[in-house]
Amino acid sequence: MGERLLYLAVVGLSEGMALWLVAAGLSLTFGVLRVVNFAHGSLYMLGAYLAFHFIRLFGGNYWIGFALGPIALAVVGYVMERFFFRRIYRLDDSFQLLLTFAFVLIFDDLVKFIWGPVHQSVPTPPILSGAIMVVGRPFPAFGLFIIVVGTAAGFALWYLIERTGWGALVQATATDREMASVVGVNVPRLYTGVFMFGAWLAGLGGVLAVPMRSLAPGMGESIIIEAFVVVVIGGLGSLRGAFIGAVLLGMFHAFGVTYLPVFELALAYVTMAIVLIIRPWGMFGVRE
Amino acid sequence: MKKKGGDGRRLSGLNRREFLKASAGALGVGAALIGGGIGFPAIARAAKGKVKNPIKIACQGVASGPLGNNGDFMNKGALLAVEEINGKGGILGSKIEFNFRDDESKVDVAIKNARYFVDTWDADFLIGIDSSGVALALGQIMPDLNRILIVTHGSTNKYNEEIVFKKGIKQCFRSSVPLYQDACAGALVAKDFPAKQWAAILPDYEYGHTSWKLFKQTLKTLRPDVEFVADSFAKSGTVDFSSHIAKVMGANPEAIFSVEWGGELVTLIKQCQLFEVYKKVKYWMAGMGGAMDVLQGLGREYPEGLWGTTRYWFLYPDNPKNKAFVDAYHKRWNNYPSHNSESAYTAVHMIKQAVEKAQTLEIKELIAAMEGMQIDRPAGPCYIRKEDHQAVYSVPWGQIKHDPKYPFPILTNLKVFPAEKYYLHPPFTQAG
Repeated sequence: MGERLLYLAVVGLSEGMALWLVAAGLSLTFGVLRVVNFAHGSLYMLGAYLAFHFIRLFGGNYWIGFALGPIALAVVGYVMERFFFRRIYRLDDSFQLLLTFAFVLIFDDLVKFIWGPVHQSVPTPPILSGAIMVVGRPFPAFGLFIIVVGTAAGFALWYLIERTGWGALVQATATDREMASVVGVNVPRLYTGVFMFGAWLAGLGGVLAVPMRSLAPGMGESIIIEAFVVVVIGGLGSLRGAFIGAVLLGMFHAFGVTYLPVFELALAYVTMAIVLIIRPWGMFGVRE
Repeated sequence: MKKKGGDGRRLSGLNRREFLKASAGALGVGAALIGGGIGFPAIARAAKGKVKNPIKIACQGVASGPLGNNGDFMNKGALLAVEEINGKGGILGSKIEFNFRDDESKVDVAIKNARYFVDTWDADFLIGIDSSGVALALGQIMPDLNRILIVTHGSTNKYNEEIVFKKGIKQCFRSSVPLYQDACAGALVAKDFPAKQWAAILPDYEYGHTSWKLFKQTLKTLRPDVEFVADSFAKSGTVDFSSHIAKVMGANPEAIFSVEWGGELVTLIKQCQLFEVYKKVKYWMAGMGGAMDVLQGLGREYPEGLWGTTRYWFLYPDNPKNKAFVDAYHKRWNNYPSHNSESAYTAVHMIKQAVEKAQTLEIKELIAAMEGMQIDRPAGPCYIRKEDHQAVYSVPWGQIKHDPKYPFPILTNLKVFPAEKYYLHPPFTQAG
């Protein structure tokens, strides 16, 4: 029985880690830029498709896609922030909503136009295509890779935000934008940087999703909803909250499907509802 | 026609109605005479062609998302038929005008499209539909829309058993095999496997639940020794089946049954491979595993030996009519036809045959023409059952094998059974 629980925990962890990378970007973008980016799921989708494109271009080499995909997304992020979002910061929040929603529609159609409306598939890289025994049962090597990358990204993000100069600037700007500007922080440039970084993370999430899943236009829609649930539970703007929220959702799914199949979907939403009632700013969020 | 009024006094007493009737009669005769010779509008031509021109056929399928291949194959199959028929003079001299829309596998979108087709676009016939749920919902409103609906995919047997047979909504027809193919024919194949412990991973809606229920029922009758050890239902839109695979494999099954389809089946099979499911589970049966979009989606990643079926297998039957269809499709679209292509193609031909037999577009007469209709289609000989408007024809189950002749794996070791043997029959009291 204990073995079974442990195995399910590993399954939950791998599902959670894939989600964490997307939620992290979302949380970061909100925490600093105060932008609720509905198009974040589309960035994940673009990351998957661009990686797929590079993989095909370079003869099936997954690692090239892995390296170039997120970088391409950072470029997309730059364009989005510098030429679109920057113009609407001073406007009402509803414009933000409209703009990000417009991007969702545009990206969906763009993907359909370039790569076609039908699903695509990419094989796992040869090194990671087998299974590793976890408590005596096979578990995909690539799934473990996702756990490793997600955890590493978690540490790297923590280090970046808590221990570097740039991280300090980011935190300062997130806390008080005007003050940061007054003391000499180039706030617009920082905003662009943070947005690019968020897009890079979403791209990484997409690249990791490619070998184990299939790609289709509209794949951003399902993940953005989950990412929002994660971020609401964890707290908008809190990376630690997003990490824990994502892992929690992964666990709900893994254990829910086996032990509570009828209510499995509700678990995440009920938790979100409870958090919103008791502690609306999330488990690790900052009360505004 | 009686003309009232012979002398002057009577003529002034001619009431307006009679005068108009007489004038109309004169005009009509005159127009028909002129229209026969010159190109005149439809009103005049109606006397000659017998049905309106053009005949409008509207089609809906899933054209986006992980199941998006289905709508694409469907559209192309229908278009091939439309072009073929129009090239040969149309239906009773009337050309077919064709329209396709994406129903996104959503009930509200499908109904909106259907209403647009009928109320605004003036469709005479509706065909298509991939999703069982959508088929059931749309079927319910057909008395309101009052057009013939030929479902070309959505597999639920409830569409025929309940909507047509029990509720008597006669506008509904189906040109493809229903889930009897997955569940009942599947059980006939499964009964010969040594496997005793069965599990399943299924989509969490009508199609998934009914298929599994019927499969279990049928197999248990044929093999009382089998046990059903686990099952897991995945929400539509699931991209990560890890939890479902973990649950099902935890029960150590010897065989797995699945009716996941489209991109979701591609993902499921990929992930099962990564979890080394096929090393432990020797018998895998997928109701939509032989569908062209799945074969092409997985390509070389499709493990050999897995069992699959579809609603039309392009290499069966091995006869000239089927070959001609496959060649024509390949020539036109540079691809091989999926079940959706053949089913939509056949639906258009069903419409042609019915209109030619009934010589009218009156719904009641078209229904009568379609009931019992025999069609020789690429999938083989077929008839439309009168009681439930279900197309009756056989489709094989087979095992996946990679073949250098094709850029995708094919089905071999085909197992075919006479359709009457595995279809359920009216009055549908024995199962379901």
